[in-house]
Amino acid sequence: MSGGVIDVGRRVPNRLTLLQKLYIPEIVRGMAVTLRHLLRNLANMKGMPTILYPEIRRKYSGRFRGKHILKTREDGTMKCVACYMCQQACPAECITIVAGEHPKIAYEKYPVVFDIDMMRCVFCGFCVDACPKDAIWMTRNYEMAFFTREDAVFSIDRLRETKEEVEKHGYGYRPYYPGDGTTPPSDASLLPVLNGSGERDRLREEGIRLPDRDPGAGPLNAPCQAQKAFPA
Amino acid sequence: MTVALETELSPAAQKVRERLAASPLAGRAEVVERDLPTIEIAPKEWPALARFLRDDPESRYDLFLDLCGVDNLRRKGQKTRFEAVVHLHSLPRNERVRVRVLLDDALPSLASVCDIYPAANWFEREAFDLYGFDFPGHPNLYRLLCHDAFVGHPLRKDYAPGQRWFFAEEDLRMPAWSKETDVRAGHFETQTISIGPSHPATHGIIHLVARLDGERIVRAETMIGYLHRCFEKMAEKHHWNQIVPYTDRLNYVSSMINGVGYVRTVEKMLGVEVPDRGRLARTILSEFSRIMDHCVCIGANLVDIGALTNFVYLYQNREEIYDLLEACCGARLTVSYVRVGGLAVDVPDDFVARCRRLLEKIPTLIDDVETLVTNNRIIRNRLSGTGIVTKEQAVAWGMTGPMLRASGVPYDVRRAHPYDFYDKFDWDIPVSQDGDNFARYLVRIEEMRQSLKIIRQALDVFPASGPVNSDDWRVVLPPKDAVYHDMESLIYHFKLTMEGIRVPAGERYEWIEGGNGELGFYAVSDGRGGPYRLKVRPPCFPNMAAFQEIVVGGTVSDAVATLGTLNIIAGELDR
Repeated sequence: MSGGVIDVGRRVPNRLTLLQKLYIPEIVRGMAVTLRHLLRNLANMKGMPTILYPEIRRKYSGRFRGKHILKTREDGTMKCVACYMCQQACPAECITIVAGEHPKIAYEKYPVVFDIDMMRCVFCGFCVDACPKDAIWMTRNYEMAFFTREDAVFSIDRLRETKEEVEKHGYGYRPYYPGDGTTPPSDASLLPVLNGSGERDRLREEGIRLPDRDPGAGPLNAPCQAQKAFPA
Repeated sequence: MTVALETELSPAAQKVRERLAASPLAGRAEVVERDLPTIEIAPKEWPALARFLRDDPESRYDLFLDLCGVDNLRRKGQKTRFEAVVHLHSLPRNERVRVRVLLDDALPSLASVCDIYPAANWFEREAFDLYGFDFPGHPNLYRLLCHDAFVGHPLRKDYAPGQRWFFAEEDLRMPAWSKETDVRAGHFETQTISIGPSHPATHGIIHLVARLDGERIVRAETMIGYLHRCFEKMAEKHHWNQIVPYTDRLNYVSSMINGVGYVRTVEKMLGVEVPDRGRLARTILSEFSRIMDHCVCIGANLVDIGALTNFVYLYQNREEIYDLLEACCGARLTVSYVRVGGLAVDVPDDFVARCRRLLEKIPTLIDDVETLVTNNRIIRNRLSGTGIVTKEQAVAWGMTGPMLRASGVPYDVRRAHPYDFYDKFDWDIPVSQDGDNFARYLVRIEEMRQSLKIIRQALDVFPASGPVNSDDWRVVLPPKDAVYHDMESLIYHFKLTMEGIRVPAGERYEWIEGGNGELGFYAVSDGRGGPYRLKVRPPCFPNMAAFQEIVVGGTVSDAVATLGTLNIIAGELDR
């Protein structure tokens, strides 16, 4: 199925009628339209399309791409393992990471430096898509004014997730999950499980669902057992 | 004859070869099979070939679409270092051909075809600017996008990016004629004025130098490039997917369409199929973007000529559509919603309901604008009969989209080269025979209605559930729950993020209907994770090139009205 061609030039006559040329009737018609809008807006002030910005803020969706936050584990350490994936994925090259060795063996690496230059950032959300550890999310915070260029580089202190910020602005763009789209099926980065460490059994007892894997005990650097694919 | 490739030629390419064999050019041009029939030719034969392709009654390639350079310095297996790639379209036969002019390495030069295809003018200047190609016979061969104090040719592969060239005010090149004194018989001396770069009517930063005789423009020249960010050089430095946010900044009024056009090119090179739900979501949001584009064009145009209320009504549509886009992807203007192989995330649950709400609201606002404007005498006096582009001129200047349709050519990419599901929907192409500013206004108003019609049909068949992304994990990032727990997925995720999508070596030109006309992407891949060369064919570039011809003879106020209906988006024009 497809359509044809319509000649809009012929549909609207080239010459105006005398009444239209007189100009006043057309003005009255136009005034009727604006008056209708005015009266409708007066009757329904809340439905007006204009937002009185500083007092009233637009409600953004849960996918809004605003300021980034670095997610933390339950013990307060950062989920980020400094794998450089977001730095590589960033089209604006605004992320700078310096990795360090984490004192806790299970966490292995952590970012000593994690800077986002908000002046370069284009808020495309590619870092969120790139993160394999669910460590970087975005919030609905879009009000980041600064007075100097140095202020625009947000370091870990300003990126780390805080309760106040999340409560004030709400979560924005984050990895997408089927279902309600808020929580991952099971939070992988909460489970730094190494074979033979005994942590696995402890977590099972606590009722945390673990990826199905051979429970074989072995040295830390034992070759990996063949894994079953994660159930879809 | 140069040695012809013995590969299988498609029927289209076979026809091109037969026509060439019967022409005076027989034996001097070679036809090879690519995504389009491709003619390879030496630079000295190029004007003869161009003339043949335009005039031969069986060829009739009348629409000059694009001319761009390619530097093969780091690409293996090519005959010459430089080549100029030209895309031509035949409106009567709806066929395309690509011409590759293989240039001399030391002194890349090819004769200008401005006299054959007037549309080539600015494309040749662009190739001169970015690649340093010489075009003997060109009437005005100066830099177009880079500023006049720029040294070197930035798209050459041996040009190091990141160099900065200082531009002082005295470096600005004014047209030579603008400095001459011109006294006409019985008149005062004419005067030259600059409209822009920062002028409320230029919408973006465009510089028009005009010579006035009283109120009439007797000569004009447009200077652009004030918003040039070298999108094409940046594209060469990034992965295929990382270019999506850059495409948002081309035509920032309808950023969704740019992304769709770009990823379609890459998907065609990869042979990836996007599921119906993803394609329909793209179609629906693209059509909404087209409505936004026309709203901005008409609204801003009417503001320029003194009608302010319409702007507010039309922008109300745009705000509502932005809300829909924000709910889908998290940003209002620079959406970055598409990815190669699908979309960034699935559409929200209430997507269809939201779209249907918009479908109820938008028509009433369009009707209001029509009531205010269409039969208003002042608007008619300003728009009717000004900025006239005849059918022949529109084709010669390479115009597409509403500009071409308002001049009476019913060419719409969605009909001529149907992509996604446009051939399944019932919609009409609005045309007008008048070719003036008012015709363009009417065409755009009607196109908004047709877009709503398309969206309505697309929503009826929109699948309630299902994937939006291809399941090819060499192209699309695997789902996150798989990445967290499954080693295989993590490897794909890692490879895609760090190395990018491996697109097979080759070239491709794909085109879709943008807000202003044909938006084409010509991509060359050498098998790496990012493009070797990416050329955008911005639809408003040929329109703007013709502006300096259209305004001659009219008044300055006509020029302002004409600039509005051309719908120049500086981000797309200057790239």
